Amino acid sequence: MLKKRLVFTLLFSDGSFMLSRNFRLQRIGDLEWLQRNYVFSNISEAIDELVILNVSRSEPQMNQFTDMLKQLTKTCFIPVAAGGWVREANQAHQLLRSGADKVVLNTPIFGEPELIEQLAGQFGRQCLVASVDLARSATEGYEFRVAGGEKALPGSARKRLIELQDRPIGDLYLNSVDRDGTGQGYDLEVLDLLPQDFGVPVILAGGAGNANHFEAGLLDDRVDAVSTAHLLNFIGDGLHRARENLIARGIHLPVRDLDIRDLRASPRLP
Amino acid sequence: MSVNDASDNHLTYCMNCLAMSTRPRISFDARGWCNACVWMERKVALDWEPRKMKLAKLLDKHRGDGFRFDCIVPVSGGKDGSYVAHNLQNVHGMNPLCVTVTPPLALDLGERNLRNFVASGFNHISVNPHPVAMQRLNTIGFRDMGFPYYGWLLAIHSTIIRVAINFGVGLIFYGEDGEVEYGGTQATMEEPIYDVQYMKDVYLEGGYENVLIKAEIPESTLSLFRFPDSYELAEVKLDITHWSYFENWDPYRNYLVAKEFCGLEEAEETNAGTFTNFSQNDQALYALHTYMMYLKFGFGRANQDACIEVRRGAMDRDQAVNLVRLYDGHFPEEFLDEYLNYYEMDRGEFDAVLDRWVNRELFAKVDGYWRPNFEVR
Amino acid sequence: MTVVDIGLSNTRSVLNAFQYLGAETEVTGDPKSVLSAEVIVLPGVGSYRRAMERLWESQLSDAITTSAQENGTKILGICLGMQLLCRSGTEDGITPGLGIIPADVAVFTTPDVRAGKIPHVGFNSVRPADGSVLFEGLPQNPDFYFVHSFQMMPEGAGGTTSLCNYGIDFAAAYEHENIFPTQFHPEKSQANGLQLLKNFLEA
Repeated sequence: MLKKRLVFTLLFSDGSFMLSRNFRLQRIGDLEWLQRNYVFSNISEAIDELVILNVSRSEPQMNQFTDMLKQLTKTCFIPVAAGGWVREANQAHQLLRSGADKVVLNTPIFGEPELIEQLAGQFGRQCLVASVDLARSATEGYEFRVAGGEKALPGSARKRLIELQDRPIGDLYLNSVDRDGTGQGYDLEVLDLLPQDFGVPVILAGGAGNANHFEAGLLDDRVDAVSTAHLLNFIGDGLHRARENLIARGIHLPVRDLDIRDLRASPRLP
Repeated sequence: MSVNDASDNHLTYCMNCLAMSTRPRISFDARGWCNACVWMERKVALDWEPRKMKLAKLLDKHRGDGFRFDCIVPVSGGKDGSYVAHNLQNVHGMNPLCVTVTPPLALDLGERNLRNFVASGFNHISVNPHPVAMQRLNTIGFRDMGFPYYGWLLAIHSTIIRVAINFGVGLIFYGEDGEVEYGGTQATMEEPIYDVQYMKDVYLEGGYENVLIKAEIPESTLSLFRFPDSYELAEVKLDITHWSYFENWDPYRNYLVAKEFCGLEEAEETNAGTFTNFSQNDQALYALHTYMMYLKFGFGRANQDACIEVRRGAMDRDQAVNLVRLYDGHFPEEFLDEYLNYYEMDRGEFDAVLDRWVNRELFAKVDGYWRPNFEVR
Repeated sequence: MTVVDIGLSNTRSVLNAFQYLGAETEVTGDPKSVLSAEVIVLPGVGSYRRAMERLWESQLSDAITTSAQENGTKILGICLGMQLLCRSGTEDGITPGLGIIPADVAVFTTPDVRAGKIPHVGFNSVRPADGSVLFEGLPQNPDFYFVHSFQMMPEGAGGTTSLCNYGIDFAAAYEHENIFPTQFHPEKSQANGLQLLKNFLEA
């Protein structure tokens, strides 16, 4: 049976991992801080997928990002999606060579459809994650935001999501700007914008603070995965506990019985 | 119940948040929930209508002709005062005069936030009590009361009253009533409006006049630290109250509103001693204040912030424990030089003050720093 | 242990996994290295046609078939890698594969997957076949990470097929003598995946 996914999202900018609150960033710590407080080789026990986003504001600093990506993914044996600032195919390729399995695209999703087609042709559609940031709008219900949440795209969010269905993408990362970092729980109403039988797996994001929020998301049939980017709330064993909690409540997440540490470098292998 | 089984140093924790039994005036119910959490529960079930009506009546009583100021809101540029001012002016149509008592060792971000707040559209006065008196009273507060900015705390009461009297404004709105929200004297729980005498007795814990005498400085420098006398008070009937009586007080909501309407900015880095970046950004002494609170009682800024997060449902208790273990009790190294300079002390004298106030049942000195012998559970 | 790189996939993850297990690894696009390899891993992500074209151009296709079928070199194909070992693929018309596994690759159709979405993405449980070597020591119905739009079902009684269900049953893994392909990604399946890779190395 296909299981649902618990996803952890990391936001990286200028050498540090960040906490986002309605897209305003707070610097939390560097890779060392992360490894100290999250035990990264262990974290793949707690989550099913890792999303790492380059949220640098002014310049992409792609090399710094991919260096971090290589280090982070060394002992991370779960699917990794990376993105942010991808505007050309070679940047996508760079991410895929640095440890990512999927490329996350946000601003180009509607701005550059040819890029999407090109990347899907080269790497396969399952390699692409369309990241969509939605904010409540006074006039339209919801609007699409791009460029780090700053710019609103005109037109109905609902129509755009219908269009998105026909693009060659593998996952839809659906994020709420209004709930982002608030710990108030997901905005489940954004799911109402999706057309019936939306053909692409949906990762819900924006607002999760604790296991209850995850549960509310995962119980909805339209949701295939839930994500949190809350770097503070799940510190230490927070993600492990949340996962145990969810499994205990009957949510179908992948089962983790074996301990990955038992498998580390046995001397007798060829 | 395992959290409080092994009681090291007879320390117990709230079963819902991380409030500690060392907190003055704390109490726990049969479940082991502290009064702040019990109050939080009550607020959810509370019928706010009567209170909303009381607010409407109060505002109608004072609402002016649009020209005169009809209420006073103490603000710092931070989320709480901004929230209250925004509501009074932009939602309820009052004409507030916002007043800031400039804190000692003001931070750049705080000053910027204050400018942003005023720029978003408010009438505002910045009061600067005599720096000699401010410094002297803060120093006495730090040394003799373990309260690093006692002078400023005094001023935000006395000066506000002075401004109210002088401008002829009879209504003053403070933000959060700490006594009610966190457990203490419950008189204002039912009757939200109080007077200057109550303010002196409860919020300044009486005896503040002694501190003024101890200061041994010229009377003229103390002008703004003295309350108006009874003749002056008789001229303007003052209704002093807290916004938190009339509406569910939610610090995170205040932050979101201040961000949206009043130009509030967060710090780029995490604030010292906690994990948040959007609160208490106006003065450097706050970090010392919370550090001393940590030494005296075992909980600091991170613990306070974590309790707020737990109560608003953003995280569960276990998550809070992890955060508090990582961030609480931070010695404000980054401000140390400023503190020494301000209090005119050397490191030895400074440490001696800390030594005087630390709870030795909770801490032991290791390599010159006080280390906890308890662990947050 | 030789990992074949045709420039279309993330060999890094596969390498990291084997290194974690302590195996000596080498990445190559050179047919000669493939021919002399002791153990071969063929990963793959992306277009069937493109991948086969690369294999033919570089003559890796012959090297792999010779190693697998004549030299009896142990070979693990992952995801597209497994599909490439089959007789043919049907993406963009019919493309011949390496013909090592008796199966043809076909797309998941909407009726096949019933209410599911295409591609098949996420962790799904596998029913290991009796006598399977790859799944030794793993819990019942272990979860592995799948991400694919195409699937196959080997014919004939030759090998051991372990199944996964996504609307229809399809081959999650196939074992026959020295051939050990998996449709899922063991290097992305956390401890289960690493245990399986360990079993492959020790087989």
